[in-house]
Amino acid sequence: MITRGPRQLLAEVQQPGLCIGCGSCVELCPYFRSHGGKTVMLHDCDLAEGRCHAWCPKTELDLEGLAQTLWGRPYPAQGMGPHLAVVAAKAGPRLESGSYQGGGTVSALVCAALDEGLVQGAVLTGGQGLQTAPRLAATPEEVIACAGSRFTAAPTLAALNRAQAQGCGSVAVVATPCQAAALAQRRAKPWPQRGAAGPAELVIGLFCNWSLDPQGLASFLAQRVEPREIRSMDIPPPPAGVLKVETGQGSLEIPLDEIRGLIPPACGLCPDMTSEWADLAVGMYEGRPGWNTLVVRNEKARALTEAAVEKGWLVMEKFPAANQEHLLQAAQGKRSRGLSAALAQGLLGGPGDDQPKALRVGSELYKAVENGEVA
Amino acid sequence: MEGQRLTMMGNQAITQGALEAGVRVAAGYPGTPSSEIIQNLAGAADEHGLYVEWSINEKVSLEVAAAASLAGLRSLCAMKQNGVNVASDFLLHLAGSGVRAGMVLVHCDDPGALSSVNEGESRHFARMLELPLLEPSDFQEAKDMTKWAFELSEEIGNLVMLRSVTRLSHASGGVVPGPIPAPGGQARFDHHGSPRDLRHGPVSSAPVGYKHRLQQEKLKRAVELFEDSPFNSYVGPESPELLVITSSICNLYVKEALALLDARDRVGVLKLGTTWPLPPKLLQRHLQRCEQVLVVEEVIPFLEENVKIAAAEMAGEIGAKKFFGKREGTLPAQGELNPDLVLKALAGILDLPYQARPAQYDRLAQELAPQATQDRELAFCPGCPHRASFWSLKEALALDDRDGFICGDIGCYSLAMRPSGYGLLKTLHAMGSGAGMASGFGQLGRFGMDQPVMAVSGDSTFYHAVIPALINAVHQKSPMSLVVLDNSGTAMTGFQPHPGTEANALGQPVPPVDIEAICRSLGAEVTVCDPFDLKATQAAAVGLLADQSTAKVLILRQLCALSPQRKGTKPYEVRVDPEKCLGDQCGCNRLCTRVFGCPGLAWEKESGKARIDEVICAGCGVCASVCPQGAIIISEGA
Ligand SMILES: Cc1cc2nc3c(=O)[nH]c(=O)nc-3n(C[C@H](O)[C@H](O)[C@H](O)COP(=O)(O)OP(=O)(O)OC[C@H]3O[C@@H](n4cnc5c(N)ncnc54)[C@H](O)[C@@H]3O)c2cc1C
Ligand code: SF4
Ligand code: SF4
Repeated sequence: MITRGPRQLLAEVQQPGLCIGCGSCVELCPYFRSHGGKTVMLHDCDLAEGRCHAWCPKTELDLEGLAQTLWGRPYPAQGMGPHLAVVAAKAGPRLESGSYQGGGTVSALVCAALDEGLVQGAVLTGGQGLQTAPRLAATPEEVIACAGSRFTAAPTLAALNRAQAQGCGSVAVVATPCQAAALAQRRAKPWPQRGAAGPAELVIGLFCNWSLDPQGLASFLAQRVEPREIRSMDIPPPPAGVLKVETGQGSLEIPLDEIRGLIPPACGLCPDMTSEWADLAVGMYEGRPGWNTLVVRNEKARALTEAAVEKGWLVMEKFPAANQEHLLQAAQGKRSRGLSAALAQGLLGGPGDDQPKALRVGSELYKAVENGEVA
Repeated sequence: MEGQRLTMMGNQAITQGALEAGVRVAAGYPGTPSSEIIQNLAGAADEHGLYVEWSINEKVSLEVAAAASLAGLRSLCAMKQNGVNVASDFLLHLAGSGVRAGMVLVHCDDPGALSSVNEGESRHFARMLELPLLEPSDFQEAKDMTKWAFELSEEIGNLVMLRSVTRLSHASGGVVPGPIPAPGGQARFDHHGSPRDLRHGPVSSAPVGYKHRLQQEKLKRAVELFEDSPFNSYVGPESPELLVITSSICNLYVKEALALLDARDRVGVLKLGTTWPLPPKLLQRHLQRCEQVLVVEEVIPFLEENVKIAAAEMAGEIGAKKFFGKREGTLPAQGELNPDLVLKALAGILDLPYQARPAQYDRLAQELAPQATQDRELAFCPGCPHRASFWSLKEALALDDRDGFICGDIGCYSLAMRPSGYGLLKTLHAMGSGAGMASGFGQLGRFGMDQPVMAVSGDSTFYHAVIPALINAVHQKSPMSLVVLDNSGTAMTGFQPHPGTEANALGQPVPPVDIEAICRSLGAEVTVCDPFDLKATQAAAVGLLADQSTAKVLILRQLCALSPQRKGTKPYEVRVDPEKCLGDQCGCNRLCTRVFGCPGLAWEKESGKARIDEVICAGCGVCASVCPQGAIIISEGA
């Protein structure tokens, strides 16, 4: 797995517009900051290797290396990542009501992890209107305050870096797939020198097909509504196909087709829909409002879900095989689109390729992508 | 002291000359290399009964001095070369109207731009505005000429220009001082006569036809006096092989070069102290006796051209001459001269084998210099508030991420063109030009420019020339932000008072004019911050950049590290905790020594840690806020 330095990060990620603003490189050092939805470099740093580059999910994301290190097997052409079970889930009676995106499964799992003492805090992404506000939550109230999805990419991992620098021990992170990939790299590419920043104890991944560029969305909406009037935003489940913006003057529905141009180019290269690198992954349950799809990926996750159910945080039900098949196809679709786009843009690398690449895969998978066999 | 030979700095000699002439009023605006003249006169004010002021700018200082002359008191005005540009509009009109009591404008040029961002020529104003020009060539002459300049001014009823240069103003040499008249003098402005009555009427450059003719007659009278002036002298053989015509401090370079070349018997030197208008008879006498002429002067060929014009006019009598100087490249037309350059020129013309300096000397010097001196960039002082200010502005511009930039201005902070100020200044011109240019850049949004623009200004500069530019920006609704780096004094030139300070040049209490109140009264939004509070300053600057609707002002107020109040005091004892210091590891990579760059911080290669150099550190404590590890520890009350 390849690591270069901050100047290369600028050249490979920021300058070509591939930064998703995940915050992984932010506040690890005095050089990178997140401001107005963008990751910026304040001063030049000339190190040949840095954590910014090592952990950034948008350059040298070595899928093959990560899978070998973390899963003990090659990164496959097919599938949706390792998992023990896929279930239907929603928050149990212990979680107070809140404005959850779906069934509140994520919030419930965070509360359970805190309750079980598995983690001391959870890095979540709150915020209102156009603002995203990553923060460290330690109580159910603080968790509930962050409920719901913000559809713009957020510098969530900057809050993790801050929490770790301040000495907060074990932390859970609710992460998009790119953020989960950044966190996976922290495990697979640990930094040899002392320093607080590192992996998270628990990663609760979200399903994600795309996000919106915060600055792009801000200027797009500014032409339609007074930015200060924006209260909240939502993308209701299909077939609505709109972005619903609640303002002081009532709500506004913007067809999703109009905002596709605001999807950052980095999302087009992303091969992961179901947060394969997380411990658990949560998405919507199409056709069953008030419920979520929950992917339990490993033993730690299984133990957490069991405890959560037992303590009344979570309710689980069987997930129909047909839905699971549908989910797999959707995940496969994204993987195939992401890898092909990377190949087309010259950003997919195989082993031994010494040009900077956004994604790296094993030689077999590389050939399969080249031959259009990953579908 | 009278009659005794003393060592004086050139500017001190000029001061002495003015005092001996009985100067009563002096005004100026600080600017290297001229500043000590007004400073010294202010120091002598009590004893000799003078009024001395640091005016808001050079134009006003000339007006203040002119008023005294019109009221019958001898007056002096001092400024640096480009100050004359600022004063020139009034100078044009004053030259037309004439003066009454003796009035002298001392303008100090800076060939080689040792303390300037230009090596502008102020001698041209004499020719352009038809005023007599004197150029002392040594320290005694600086005194004597200044004294005589007042007499000349009264004799012709017009202002006299006296030009010094850095190497005269700031070097020292022997001067025999003379008596200084007792204090006294009665001021009265007589204005009841006819407009054509120069001594009793209203004073103006109109009626122009009449006054202009008079002005030219005054100049003719000056030329008559120049023909016999003791300030013009000739040394050398009766008929030299080469005639060197020179003026100012260059005379010393010529003397030295000729001595080194042992060519004093071949070369004659005509040293001119009255360089405009040139006395033609004197010139003719000397030009007649030679075939070749070398004109030695600094920067632009002012003297050279005037001599050539005179030679052309008298060609019938003196015949054609071969000229050497700047026009054909014997001497450079930029930068200072020195004995070496003059020596090289002379050796070439005289065909003498002489190597100004063995090549080996330069090589050796190159090798030795780094051992004897630390290799250090020209930088802000330790504890300088400007470093902190530019640090925050740099971060704010980076956060804003729209390729914003700063228009610079004149002061210590001009250094921010260089690494010490992170190269943040992207334009740098005249006093007040930063705000003016930012006002212009701010209007270019309509042509698609989306880069935010800021201007910086010092406090003294703010009064001098920024106010009109700021009014313009506010009135034209130009979305620029002006950052006033208020270090409470004219720091660069030595803490002269300015309209914002509570005492004037004479040390008397005066009402300070509040920058913040001025800006607010113009309708500009104003924020005030302590630049040592990096967080607050950065947040304020980010706010300015984000809101590009109108002209806004951020005042960053913190005393200069060398200010009389702060100098020698250490607010904090500062040290680096080597346990916490990350050094060049990921997470810091020497932010304090590699990027922030205060000279009080040193990088220790062996241990891989930063260290405070206690001798240099001024104890401002700012680096403690820069360190990402909290490894720089400050404790109060050192
Ligand atoms: C950008 C984005 C795109 C998504 N796309 C899909 C999709 O295509 N299909 C699908 O099934 N599901 C998608 N989801 C997930 C879905 O919106 C819900 O987050 C998920 O179903 C969990 O619901 P819940 O009720 O359990 O969440 P809640 O209990 O309401 O908790 C939501 C959690 O999401 C976190 N969060 C909110 N915004 C962000 C953000 N921008 N970045 C990181 N974390 C955030 C908060 O910390 C909060 O804890 C997406 C989510 C995001 C943020
Ligand atoms: S994608 Fe994340 S880690 Fe990479 S440059 Fe952007 S903010 Fe930094
Ligand atoms: S405290 Fe730090 S910034 Fe201030 S003078 Fe000392 S070394 Fe420089």
